Amino acid sequence: MEQIVLLLLLIPLIFSIVFIYSNKKLYKPLSFLMFFICSILSIFLAYKGSLSIRLTGQIFKISEGIITLSEILMILYLFKISVKHHKIGIFILTVIQTIITLFTIFTPDKSEILTVGIDKFSLAMLLIINIVGTLIVIFANGYISEYEHHHGIESKQKLFYPIICLFLSAMNGLVVSDSLSMVYFFWEITTITSFILISYNGDDEAYKSGFRALFLNLIGGICFGVGNILLKKMLDIDTLSGIIQHGSISLSLMLPVFLLCIAGFVKSAQMPFQSWLLGAMVAPTPVSALLHSSTMVKAGVYLIVKLSPAYAGTRLGTVIAIYGAFTFFICSAIAVAQRNAKRILAYSTIANLGLIICSAGIGTGVAVSAAIILIIFHAISKALLFLCTGQIEHTIGSRDIEDMTGLIRIAPVLSILTSFGIISMILPPFGVLVTKWMSIEAAGSNPFVASFLVLGSALTTLYYTKWLGSILAYPVTELKAQDKKDFCIFFPLWALGFGVLMTSIFITPIFNNFVSPEVNKLLKKSTDMYIKRGEVVSKLGTFNEAMVFIALGLVVLFVILMRRLMISSANIKSIYMCGENNFAEGENYFRSWNGKYEKAKVSNLYFDNILDEKALTTFGYVVSSSIIIICLLGGLK
Amino acid sequence: MITLINLKILIKLLLILILPPVIGCILSGIDRKVTAHLQGRVGPPLLQPLYDVIKLFNKENIVVNKYQNVYVITYFIFVVLSLFMLLMKMDFLMIIFVYTIANTSLIVGGMSTGSPYSRIGSVRETISMLAYEPILLFYIIGMYMLTGSFKISKLAYTNKPLLYYLPLIFIAMLFIMTIKFKKSPFDFSTSHHAHQELVKGMFTEYSGPALAIIEVAHWYEYVFLLGLIFLFWYTSPIIGLILALITFFLEIVIDNICARLSWEWMLKFTWTIIIGLSIANILFIYLYNVKIL
Repeated sequence: MEQIVLLLLLIPLIFSIVFIYSNKKLYKPLSFLMFFICSILSIFLAYKGSLSIRLTGQIFKISEGIITLSEILMILYLFKISVKHHKIGIFILTVIQTIITLFTIFTPDKSEILTVGIDKFSLAMLLIINIVGTLIVIFANGYISEYEHHHGIESKQKLFYPIICLFLSAMNGLVVSDSLSMVYFFWEITTITSFILISYNGDDEAYKSGFRALFLNLIGGICFGVGNILLKKMLDIDTLSGIIQHGSISLSLMLPVFLLCIAGFVKSAQMPFQSWLLGAMVAPTPVSALLHSSTMVKAGVYLIVKLSPAYAGTRLGTVIAIYGAFTFFICSAIAVAQRNAKRILAYSTIANLGLIICSAGIGTGVAVSAAIILIIFHAISKALLFLCTGQIEHTIGSRDIEDMTGLIRIAPVLSILTSFGIISMILPPFGVLVTKWMSIEAAGSNPFVASFLVLGSALTTLYYTKWLGSILAYPVTELKAQDKKDFCIFFPLWALGFGVLMTSIFITPIFNNFVSPEVNKLLKKSTDMYIKRGEVVSKLGTFNEAMVFIALGLVVLFVILMRRLMISSANIKSIYMCGENNFAEGENYFRSWNGKYEKAKVSNLYFDNILDEKALTTFGYVVSSSIIIICLLGGLK
Repeated sequence: MITLINLKILIKLLLILILPPVIGCILSGIDRKVTAHLQGRVGPPLLQPLYDVIKLFNKENIVVNKYQNVYVITYFIFVVLSLFMLLMKMDFLMIIFVYTIANTSLIVGGMSTGSPYSRIGSVRETISMLAYEPILLFYIIGMYMLTGSFKISKLAYTNKPLLYYLPLIFIAMLFIMTIKFKKSPFDFSTSHHAHQELVKGMFTEYSGPALAIIEVAHWYEYVFLLGLIFLFWYTSPIIGLILALITFFLEIVIDNICARLSWEWMLKFTWTIIIGLSIANILFIYLYNVKIL
């Protein structure tokens, strides 16, 4: 068991080194190999169940040495890049971080123990990281060469694959650690690797976004470090499980917990810190998929959910719930005005993370379950959507959703997978919607949180429906068709699509094995909800998943039965143009009043005048920062 | 015992499948009759909608894209499912989410044809969805705050009708009923009256059997929507029915006395005043901690 945990940390590292020394032809088989090994290991570990390991004595000394050495190396690296690029902000933050690190190293009463704690939630996270994460690496094989060719940048793949492997290894480390010092260590590694990945293109814009991400995440890291020190000094807590055992009784726990929450907010790109995630869009698609779905941002919400016992039912919890709900609402509103598919996805990610944080803040059994399930489902659906968007961009040369009109005719498989991804984000019976249902029900008793969730949810449906409609629209504006069938591209897409379907169908075992035990452990009481035979039952209400699936099955059945009658016997005619069609030039041309032929062009509505991105972002900054400041000044109770 | 329960459910299912379209058909017949009288015409016979549908079923199946009818089937099945769930008194929030599937399918179906007219209609329908969905959810949250449960079956144990503590939300619901029935002044996504600009909006490219299925699904939807109004006075079914019928006639009258407004106006009005009313109502219940169980 212990060996498997160690292997999960080491194998990506080994692959990282292999990638450095292998030649370009081997990348593909290596990625597949990594996918198989990591998936099998994580599935095996999930099958074996949770465990807790205490590292003492000799092993402790060695791990402590490795951690300290790596921390020093990281700090040196930060100094180097801040000097090289003349970034004074990064320099100052690094100095602060150095002080924190030195302080922790030379603390006299250090505990002589490191704990690795793998509970059900960590197992679920490990599955996501190792399956979804490595699938994204496979996708990168089919994507990155063309991307580099397209952008005219020299190949940096020698750097790309090793860093991604290092990133996955750090994420694995983060979710298996129980000692806060280890969590902090891996946290900082993800910060630095994400900086390298975001500035991949190497131009000014890439570096700008990279440094923004680094700057904000270093602030988060400092909050984390200070929180750690305070927890140790004030309460002698140095593990996540220690916080769980301590519960929410003590008021002195609140400040450090709040600092850790801030670190989580930054990592999950919540409202005043969201700009780094939007900037991360300049990186190639596999990177943004990795940051947005299974790794980076999930680390933030992972920490916040883990901290939920400390603030469940307190005023801090309510504030966190309102904060998350507000982010959900405002980011959904901004997303409505976006035409760029990647930006829509970015805002949707921030919104969904807000929903997770909101649910964690509500702190009831149903709400925390919703948070954990949403982490799982969102990771898979979002990875699928991001990779599809990347591939669409390579197919039609644009990521504007208006340009995707008629995609179904050019790239039917890709369009269907994308549509499925979108549907899984907004409609039942798929997981994301079930969690939205759970969080709205859990938020029912707090009208402020509930109002934000209700409005945000309506906006979410709007911006995804627009996109869905565009993709599935039939007659096309002429697009340059380049539908390629690369196995490296379509294997991850099919696997993720299949994963979305299967996780939604098998929500019962997922809930019973991963979510329910974790919530019981976190909140120290039973979840007051269960899932049985596809029926999500709580004290508040019941969601009958099975019934919706049966109805979907009925649709399929009807379509098959009535295929002759409704579909294949149908008489295909051209669209209605008031009898003024012009078939020579194209189906949607019509003869205008002056006898000339004009093209009928209808686009979606974007409300850019009302939902102006800049104005709403400013508004969001003001409100969300106020919530955080008020929470601090109003006393952490 | 188990077979008995199953039999009960089966009978219920059959009733749910057969009764609502009958009621819906008669309602839309009444609609046409009353509208005709208001306009000084005699109007068609009461069962004219039925004759129309029968005729449509016998027409040739003409499409512009092979798969557009799949969306219609999805729409039909999920409207029936949401009505079934409503009559089985299941979780209200789930019902609305399932109902969203039906509407989304119709919108995407309209867009999929690629006709500019249906595209305009569909885009406008997404806007109406943005306008009415929050109100429906606020209604549900109001019900939850009053009864402590999202299940409609809990309404049977209440001692006061919902309307008593949700008057503002009732007004909001009346407002969005106009949107949902696609009546004037909000008939801008698809309507008989907007032929000059929209042809038939979302449904422009649907004809024959597909249009007939849409029509039948509308009958189910009529009953579903009036069912939502009925819940406001669940404690006494007779009054609930009267409430639903009054709402229906009110909608017909509004349809006949109003001119079509733009979608901008509707969106501004719903997202300020109507949502404001709903939130005010919910805040009232929260602050006074009212329960009707």
